[in-house]
Amino acid sequence: MTDRVPGRSKMRYPKLEHFSEPNVITTTADFIFSWARSHSVFPFTYGLACCAIEMLSSGFARFDVARYGMEVFRPTPRQCDLMIVAGTVNEKMAPVLERLYQQMSEPKWVISMGACANSGGPFYDGYNVVNGVDKIVPVDVYIPGCPPRPEALFQGLLELQEKIQQHSFVPQAPAGDGREA
Amino acid sequence: MALEISTNPMAIGAIAARLTEEFGADLHDVHVQQPDTVVASCDRARLRDLAQRLKGDPEVGYETLNWVAGIDRITAFESVYHVYSWKTNTYLELHVEVPRATPEVDSVVAVWPAADWHERESWDMMGITYLGHPDLRRILLKDDFVGHPLRKDYVDLVENHPNA
Repeated sequence: MTDRVPGRSKMRYPKLEHFSEPNVITTTADFIFSWARSHSVFPFTYGLACCAIEMLSSGFARFDVARYGMEVFRPTPRQCDLMIVAGTVNEKMAPVLERLYQQMSEPKWVISMGACANSGGPFYDGYNVVNGVDKIVPVDVYIPGCPPRPEALFQGLLELQEKIQQHSFVPQAPAGDGREA
Repeated sequence: MALEISTNPMAIGAIAARLTEEFGADLHDVHVQQPDTVVASCDRARLRDLAQRLKGDPEVGYETLNWVAGIDRITAFESVYHVYSWKTNTYLELHVEVPRATPEVDSVVAVWPAADWHERESWDMMGITYLGHPDLRRILLKDDFVGHPLRKDYVDLVENHPNA
């Protein structure tokens, strides 16, 4: 079930020939879990500045993030697995952001949206600005732009979907445990 | 009784003349900034008393405080009060010079309660201490921030960037 869709290099979808009979699909649990997981991401509304306007705009009908199954924005970290950091992170906000990230349940991902969250952007080296959210939490996808258009956010979400699909939830046997022989 | 809002019964020049006549001992450099603002300055020792009298004046009572600003003029700081009169529909811009060595000035919260957060911000960013303020602490920056960043001689400190 690792067939690739033309034009999108790493995204994996079930194909018609994998349906052994109507409504029955034969595949690995690993694939189907990561496939489902990548299409039901719950984003956390973490709008900090003007990028938040683009993030909100992407949720409405004109752009419609629901096409990717990601429209369920939640205001609490406990129900979310994706933090979209949209805007400038300042030193006063940094400990709050870190705490909210820790309150999110695993598995969790972070998207850094826009120049400010990527590196501080136009406020780089400001007296109260963190030079990029990756100084505080690990970032999975960086989206450039000031601010990025909703289409750019979607590109980032698709990149994240690819990344989620590559993740295996099956515990891997540690290397060198003697089973090779 | 409805609030009486008049449409500038006194010309701005007449208001400036009245302010000079009534408060001339305390108000200096009174001049008009068209169309609707009188600009003046006063000594910091006289500010509290003058504010009370400006607010209570029957002709041009400045009841509303719009904002308080802090300015770094290099040689000294300035605390600026922008107040509004509903009676005459005009503004007064009151400049108070604050020496760099002792950046202190009386708080006007007792006169205009709106000054509360504005004075906190001015202290936060510029380091002007407002004597008699009920709760003078940082309002925008974090509590353990070192220094006052909008001063012209502020140097960014490592302590202020724990996440660098």
